Amino acid sequence: MRALVVDDSRAMRRIVGRILTDAGFEVQEAGHGQEALDLLTEHDTPPDLACIDWNMPVMDGLEFVTEVRSRPEWRSITLMMVTTESEQSRIVRALAAGAHEYLIKPFTADALQEKLDLLGLVPLTAGDLA
Amino acid sequence: MTVETPDQALVRAAMEQVWESMLYAVAEPWAPGDHPDFRNGLQAQIALTGEWNGELRLTLDGTVAAEIAGAMLGADEDEELPELDVHDAVGEVLNVVGGSVKGALGGATALGLPGVTPVTVAPDHDDCVVVAWRGSPVYVQVVPAAG
Repeated sequence: MRALVVDDSRAMRRIVGRILTDAGFEVQEAGHGQEALDLLTEHDTPPDLACIDWNMPVMDGLEFVTEVRSRPEWRSITLMMVTTESEQSRIVRALAAGAHEYLIKPFTADALQEKLDLLGLVPLTAGDLA
Repeated sequence: MTVETPDQALVRAAMEQVWESMLYAVAEPWAPGDHPDFRNGLQAQIALTGEWNGELRLTLDGTVAAEIAGAMLGADEDEELPELDVHDAVGEVLNVVGGSVKGALGGATALGLPGVTPVTVAPDHDDCVVVAWRGSPVYVQVVPAAG
């Protein structure tokens, strides 16, 4: 399975990316929403998951979610907001725009893994294929 | 709705969460000792605007900043990180602390994007939450907007 981590902080991309890699994902990174859209456009096959920060320069997370949801060829992507924005109104806006899950920073690796389990995003391991 | 200035307990709780989840460390209170002179220090700022206006300001020694960045990026102990990565990591620490503080404040308050510079204003020790990173102090100060 493939994941795209969209966050303007390289450090946060690495933290999220490490957890996803440990969970069995191949991970790509983008520094803001527009860079993420460009990456999606370049690839024929969309990723299975995108983890998206809210507050980013150039294009924020909510705009990115809205853009992705407007494109039928990207409907298969599971969208998870990973953000410091914790108000109920923000969560409702993100889910209404098409996000599937919402994880508030700071979070533990276990919390992210629980979200993946809830979403049914469990990559196959070599052991599963044996 | 009137929103009170965030108190130190709130900031400390936010820092403890960040230390645990992002740095895999315990945020012990700093045992007061010699205060660094911050000649090699970094300062991150992030604005909160809306029903409460002001900023959070994080100050730490440059070596401590590099160690924290290394912990976040999973770098080797002796790996020298680019300044950009160190600034990014310090800014993200304050961003997440700021997000927790903003969430606890209630009311309509917006969080800006973090900025990181060399130290321009030495922290006022009495007004700061100070936690230790490997024995060295990391200061966070709540600075209400003037006026």
